[in-house]
Amino acid sequence: MALQEKDVNNGTPAVTAAALAAEEQQRAVFSRIPSRTWRWLGANTAYMPEGLTDEPVTQTITVEPGQRDAVVLSERESGAYTVQADVQEGAVLDLVKVQLVPDDAPYTSRIFVHLGRGAKLNYTAIEAGAVHTASKLEVDMEGDDSQSDIWSLYFGDGESKIDLNYIIRQRGQRTDANMQVRGALLGHSEKTFRGTLDFQRGSAGSVGRENEEVVLLSSGVRNRSVPIMLSHEDDVDGHHAVSIGKMDENKLYYLMSRGLDLAAAQRLVVEASFQPVLDRLPASESALREEIDAYLLGRLSENE
Amino acid sequence: MAEKKKTYVEDIERTLYDIKNEDHSIYKTKSGLTEDIIRDISARKHDPKWMLDFRLKSLEIYNSLELPTWGPDLSELNMDDIVTYVQPDAKMVGNWNEVPEDIKDTFDRLGIPEAEKKSLAGVGAQYDSEVVYHSMQDELVQQGVVYTDMESALTQYEDIVKEYFMTLVPPKDHKFAALHGAVWSGGSFVYVPEGVHVDVPLQSYFRLNAAGAGQFEHTLIIVEPGASLHFIEGCSAPKYNVTNLHAGCVELFVKEGARLRYSTIENWSRNMMNLNTKRALVEKDGIIEWVSGSFGSHVSMLYPCSVLHGENARCEFTGVTFASKGQNLDTGASVIHAAPHTSANINTRTISKAGGRATYRSAVKVTKNADHARCSVNCESLMLDDLSRSDTLPTMDIEGDEADIGHEAKIGRISDEAVFYLTSRGIDEEEARAMIVRGFVEPIAKELPLEYAVEMNNLVNIELEGTMG
Repeated sequence: MALQEKDVNNGTPAVTAAALAAEEQQRAVFSRIPSRTWRWLGANTAYMPEGLTDEPVTQTITVEPGQRDAVVLSERESGAYTVQADVQEGAVLDLVKVQLVPDDAPYTSRIFVHLGRGAKLNYTAIEAGAVHTASKLEVDMEGDDSQSDIWSLYFGDGESKIDLNYIIRQRGQRTDANMQVRGALLGHSEKTFRGTLDFQRGSAGSVGRENEEVVLLSSGVRNRSVPIMLSHEDDVDGHHAVSIGKMDENKLYYLMSRGLDLAAAQRLVVEASFQPVLDRLPASESALREEIDAYLLGRLSENE
Repeated sequence: MAEKKKTYVEDIERTLYDIKNEDHSIYKTKSGLTEDIIRDISARKHDPKWMLDFRLKSLEIYNSLELPTWGPDLSELNMDDIVTYVQPDAKMVGNWNEVPEDIKDTFDRLGIPEAEKKSLAGVGAQYDSEVVYHSMQDELVQQGVVYTDMESALTQYEDIVKEYFMTLVPPKDHKFAALHGAVWSGGSFVYVPEGVHVDVPLQSYFRLNAAGAGQFEHTLIIVEPGASLHFIEGCSAPKYNVTNLHAGCVELFVKEGARLRYSTIENWSRNMMNLNTKRALVEKDGIIEWVSGSFGSHVSMLYPCSVLHGENARCEFTGVTFASKGQNLDTGASVIHAAPHTSANINTRTISKAGGRATYRSAVKVTKNADHARCSVNCESLMLDDLSRSDTLPTMDIEGDEADIGHEAKIGRISDEAVFYLTSRGIDEEEARAMIVRGFVEPIAKELPLEYAVEMNNLVNIELEGTMG
């Protein structure tokens, strides 16, 4: 039950805590944030999309010590998917997830990654399809000197709902986490991004960076951003930032002064924002990259 | 690798605040919360019928609500042990010499009468459940400014109180708002007429002396169109081995083109549960400025909320929280942009040490009609050891596309590089670390009234040990 404008009279949410608690009991919970906050914000809980049961197709990945493995998950059908990955000492996992599920179908994804000493996760995610996406990424950085480099892109339009919950637990010493998220929302889409950097006791010398940039492209959208940072260790360097807004008018003005119409200029700015994520797709997946480019371009054009 | 040394910052010097007076109260309710107790409080305060009904309805709501499922653990709080009303052996007067000696001594030690002479236009002083002193400069009285205790306001300005009281923070808001509605006592009422500028601050000071008691003062401030006011609130209590409870409520109405600065230094004792609710409703072109320092309490839950209700309404929030041993201070701010072209700046610093836990929690809500809303949030946390904990939990909920929202947060320790730089310039290491901590809270300290900035510097008394790692 989302808090609506009419519910904010003089600052008091009309949606009662009891009503929200009842909703939690009635609907199947998909995931929660690690530390709860006010209920009226609707940020504590992600629910299972309608039409899906929580009986996932599970895939297991093990990367042996010192090895490097690349896995591309290209998901185009409605369903609940789970990946469990164990990246052992000194190993590297390059994990790419591209979600292009039809826009009338629901989708869930849970990815758990354990990183051993000196292990590294390179994760790239593109969440562009489905009517309702619920996606969770949980990285357990148990090993000293482990690294996670996470780049994610989401695109919402029409009536789509996107619910992302990324949790990075930094447990080992000198771990390094980087979480970069780019998004664009059109139509009447709704999105919630919860990103948690959790510096646990013993994670001395660790650094964590989290950044989300959202472009709002129509008046019917709703964006929730919940960048959480938890720290039980002083010798860490944590930073998070969120930027939410419409497209930079100066950029648009510049492009239009060079002859582009407004729609083309907007498209170009969105593409540029997505570029750092798309560029991480492996060269061997050029066909997939072309498909994603065409898909996003088509969706952007449809909404002009 | 050599072990990195920690920076130690001394606990806040509390001797001044911990001096207890003997309990000379002339009346106390029984501990606990029952309808009989509510009726008893109401009768003693000569409430009008509507206020008694309001209290009883609030009690009903209190009993129907659960404790929050988020934030600090409140299980230590047992309302059956809390005395909700303590009447001191003093009547409200307008002359310090008429205040009973022990109570006057308390406020003397806290520097209130001295501050009144030097830098305040009016002072209110509450001791336990009742206001014992209230005074304001004649010039402001002549301009129609009203500054009095809530009980007097309820008698003399009943229509105004009835129109505004707990409309901004209704009892259904949360369990402790309901508790406040049921047992409120004391507090301040300020009314600034249209176009009047109160250039010198007014200050209310709240002192809770009785062990095992609660303080539930209500502050209601109305700043009419084009008027302005700086209001300062201070609070403290001596430490006891039993839990004390503070569940005050502050409602601020900032009308069109008005400006209100609300400064608070909260320095409750380490046995206090501080569950306070503060909210401002800001109309067109109005400005609310919050300056908030949280140093005391065992547990705090405090998130001043600004509802930017009129076009171009603005909020500036500046806050500092210092959590030490045995403290769990959950503080922050929330802003609701409910009109076009509203803007907010939130700037906070938290320090945690010696096992203290500091949480920054915030909400920024932009409703659909609030086009061109702008909000910038910056929170920085400094941890001084690995026994402590520091969390940030911000939430942004934005509807529509015409908003510009930025949020930035940092958590870390004192930078070794910064210490190295300063020591390489001839500053000794202890002083270098002290300078860094002072610099960290400087953006907040400079927003405080001078005497409070001095007090804060005294409170954050730096003692350093160790060397660079």
